[in-house]
Amino acid sequence: MIGKIQELSALERLSGGDTYVHRLHPMVKLFATAVFIITVISFGRHAFILLIPYVFFLIFLMILSKTPHLILFKRFLIAFPFCFFAGISNVIFEPAPYGLISFFTIMLRAYLCVMAALLLVSVTPFYEIANSMRRLKIPGIFVSIFEMTYRYISVLLEEVYSMYIAYSLRNAGKKGIRMRDMGSFAGQLLLRSFDRADRVYNAMKCRGYTLDFVPQNRQSFLPKDIVFFIFVCIFCLTFRLIIPFIPTVLLS
Amino acid sequence: MHMTDALISPAVGITMCVVSTAAVAYAVKKNVSEKKIPMMGVMGAFIFAAQMIDVAIPGTGSSGHITGGILLAAMIGATPALLSMSAVLIIQCLFFGDGGLLALGCNIFNLGVIPCLIVYPLVFEPLIKKNANPSKITIASIFAVVAGLQLGAFGVVLQTHISGVAELPFSAFAILMQSIHLIIGVAEGIVTAAILCFVLKMRPEVMECISSRETVKHHSKGVIIAFAAIALLGGCVLSQFASSNPDGLEWSIERANVFEK
Repeated sequence: MIGKIQELSALERLSGGDTYVHRLHPMVKLFATAVFIITVISFGRHAFILLIPYVFFLIFLMILSKTPHLILFKRFLIAFPFCFFAGISNVIFEPAPYGLISFFTIMLRAYLCVMAALLLVSVTPFYEIANSMRRLKIPGIFVSIFEMTYRYISVLLEEVYSMYIAYSLRNAGKKGIRMRDMGSFAGQLLLRSFDRADRVYNAMKCRGYTLDFVPQNRQSFLPKDIVFFIFVCIFCLTFRLIIPFIPTVLLS
Repeated sequence: MHMTDALISPAVGITMCVVSTAAVAYAVKKNVSEKKIPMMGVMGAFIFAAQMIDVAIPGTGSSGHITGGILLAAMIGATPALLSMSAVLIIQCLFFGDGGLLALGCNIFNLGVIPCLIVYPLVFEPLIKKNANPSKITIASIFAVVAGLQLGAFGVVLQTHISGVAELPFSAFAILMQSIHLIIGVAEGIVTAAILCFVLKMRPEVMECISSRETVKHHSKGVIIAFAAIALLGGCVLSQFASSNPDGLEWSIERANVFEK
């Protein structure tokens, strides 16, 4: 649980960096990530070799933004078991070489997509992500909920952690909450959260909160943003549309 | 039960994103009051924290955690619950690598739209009817959570199958997923019931499913069924387009084989 809180703050610290990638316009980063992910998943089941350039591209961006690979990779491992389970079935149900190829392709797709999303948030501060959502005309009410959920996760995790410690001290240190105690355990947390939400709302109102919040420091697009976006698009399209057909052209 | 980018095709991913966006937009339209924002935000964080609590499953030695869609809907109402769940899923996707950006549509649909907008009004509310008591809440919770998880798990199976990335045989995968989620569903249903009964005893006035039932009555069932239908149809139709053009490598392998012969 404490690990989760630290994970959140680790990404937040990374996003405060000051490199070429960090300074790009957040919208450009968001759309570039979308282009990258859609390109990667548009490849077929056996496109293992064709995906390798994208790994280099991702690593290149990580080096450029001074993002440590290990922190992001640990998080990728969370998503790993389900992909592994689904992928291993390809080894069983497909004829010999293809099954193995498609298994590794699924693993590589998972790696690329998860790492791309994690890289996006580790080079973009949280308020920039929320502001980009507002600029994309996502309703303010939803963005506010998103922001508040994010902010209160660490508060409530700390609360759960202290309740958990108190519980296990009185429970001879056994792992987990017993099922019959779960009602009052989570119920207490629920009621506390309810009261907290009330207090938060009153505090927000006292400080003049309204829904029509206008994001400050509206950053405009610079030439470097456009250059970066075009570069990402050209890279993705080249390795998706042109390179895969060169061998067949040569063969025929 | 998070769907991942690695297993879906762009057609399925984009279709589900469109459907989930429509559902969230519908929920936003229903909750324009700013008074509810802190409630939805803090309850989103609560669900996230509650998912971290390991519950010991009796007799197995293992532990699990709740997903919380039905719990949230019973506490704050169906559409606010969907907004909270969506916020939590976006955070899990962005900051914890759970799922993926394009799979977000699938995840919001399976874990948010299905329990909050479909199962809660169609199963939970009719079972409670008026004057809720602990036994009614227990039955409603178990049925609703089981139904929600069954449909959600089936959603995962269907989305995986239509995408065609994994070679899993449809029936075997479906049987496996449904049976695992049946067990999980019963356990989660019991835990959800315990939490709701506790709140019912302590502070019944804060529960949406009791205090203001008239405001959540039949939120246009037509809309709900339309979402489900669009998702299914869209996925099937688009996947036909997607698979009618063979992918570059498959095409080249084919060509290479012809060439060898």
